[in-house]
Amino acid sequence: MIQQIEASPDEIYDIELEHSLLEANAKLAQENRALLDHHGITAIDVMGAIGSGKTTLITRLVEGLKDQIGVAVFNGDATTSNDADLIASQSVPVVQIATVKGCHLDANLVGKALRKTKLDNLRLIFIENIGNLICPAEFPLGSKARVVVVSVTEGPYMVRKHPHMFLGAQLVVINKIDLAEAMGVSVSELSEDVHRLKPDITVIPTSCKTGAGIDQVNSALLAV
Amino acid sequence: MHELSIASAVVDNILEFVAERSIKRVIAVRLAVGELSHVEEEQLRFCYMAITQETLIRDSALEIDRIPAVVRCHHCDYSGRPKYWEDALSAAPVPTLQCPNCGGAVEPVEGTDCAIKSVRFVSDEPVETVPGSSDFASDPS
Ligand SMILES: Nc1nc2c(ncn2[C@@H]2O[C@H](COP(=O)(O)OP(=O)(O)OP(=O)(O)O)[C@@H](O)[C@H]2O)c(=O)[nH]1
Ligand SMILES: [Mg+2]
Ligand SMILES: [Zn+2]
Repeated sequence: MIQQIEASPDEIYDIELEHSLLEANAKLAQENRALLDHHGITAIDVMGAIGSGKTTLITRLVEGLKDQIGVAVFNGDATTSNDADLIASQSVPVVQIATVKGCHLDANLVGKALRKTKLDNLRLIFIENIGNLICPAEFPLGSKARVVVVSVTEGPYMVRKHPHMFLGAQLVVINKIDLAEAMGVSVSELSEDVHRLKPDITVIPTSCKTGAGIDQVNSALLAV
Repeated sequence: MHELSIASAVVDNILEFVAERSIKRVIAVRLAVGELSHVEEEQLRFCYMAITQETLIRDSALEIDRIPAVVRCHHCDYSGRPKYWEDALSAAPVPTLQCPNCGGAVEPVEGTDCAIKSVRFVSDEPVETVPGSSDFASDPS
C-alpha cells in the first residue's frame, strides 16, 4: 500500500490552459489546404458508413473524369489495400494511408500523403476516409468539400441516427438507389432528413450500378 | 471513436505540463466541450480513465463543462441557440443548422471546439497562477 499524504490547501494550484484539442489538426489542415490551393488542386473528403459505397463511387467518379483532368485518390483503409487496388484499376495515382491505431484520417496523415504525391498536373484528389459515420467530423483534412455517402441499404433512419456527420458536409450522396424499392426505403425522405439538419446542402441520389447521378456528382464537385 | 484521439491529446498535454513543473499530483483536469463538437462525454471519460491508468496522472478527475451551441443566420440576422430536432433517433435532441426563425441555413459560431480549460494540481514549489481561475468543483466527492 502506498501511503497518501494529504496536501495542505496552499499547495493546490489551478492553472488556466485554454488549450484547444482540435486546433493542432485544424492548423495542419490549413497547411494542406494552402499546399493544395498553390497547386490549383481541389481535394474532396469522402466519408460514410462501412460499405456505403465510397470506393465504388470514387471509382465511378474517376472513370468519368480521368480523361479530362488529372485525378488522384488517397485511400484511408484501416488495414488492407483492397480499396486501393480497386481504384488503381482506373490507372490513376493512388496513395494508401494506413491508420493502424486511429479509426479516422487526420490532417497529419493526409499531409504526409500529399508530400509523397506528384502534385503537378493534378486537379482533383479524392480522399476516402475510414468507413465510420461517427468519427471524422472533428478532424478536417484540408479538403475543399466533404461528401457524406449514405446508402439505402443502411435503412430509412440513417440520417436521424447519425445526424452530426451531415452538419460538416457540403454534399450528400444517397447511394444504391437501384436497391431502394427492394429495401422499402424512400430516397426523398432520406433527403428531407438531411435538409432538416442542413437546409442548403446539395443531395444527389446515385447508383454506382446503373450510373444514375454520377455525372451530377462530378459536376457538383468541379463547381466547389 | 474520436473520443480516444481527444483523450490521448488531453493526456499528452497534461503529462507534458507535469513534466515541465515540480508537480506532485494532478487532482483534476477540466475540459470545455462544445455542444457541436459531438464529443460523447461517457466515452471520453472511459478513454481518459483507460489511458491514464499507466501514467503519473492515473488518479486525476476529469471534469467536463458543456459549451452550448450558438448559431447565426445570414438570411434573417437571427443569433442564438440552434433549432433542435426533438424526435430524431439520437439519445438527445439534435442541434441542427436550420434557422429557428426563418428556416434558412445558419453558421455555427460557438460550441464547436473542445479544449483543456484548466488543470488543478498539488505542488511543493510555488507556482504562478492566474488570479480567479479556481472554477473547479470545490469538493469533488
Ligand atoms: N447495388 C449496388 N451496390 C453497390 C452500389 N455502390 C456500391 N455497391 C456495392 O456495395 C459494396 C460496398 O461498396 P464499397 O465501395 O466497397 O463501400 P465502401 O464504403 O468503400 O466500404 P468500406 O471502405 O469498407 O467502408 C460493394 O459490394 C459494392 O459493389 C450501388 O449503387 N448499388
Ligand atoms: Mg472503401
Ligand atoms: Zn434566419
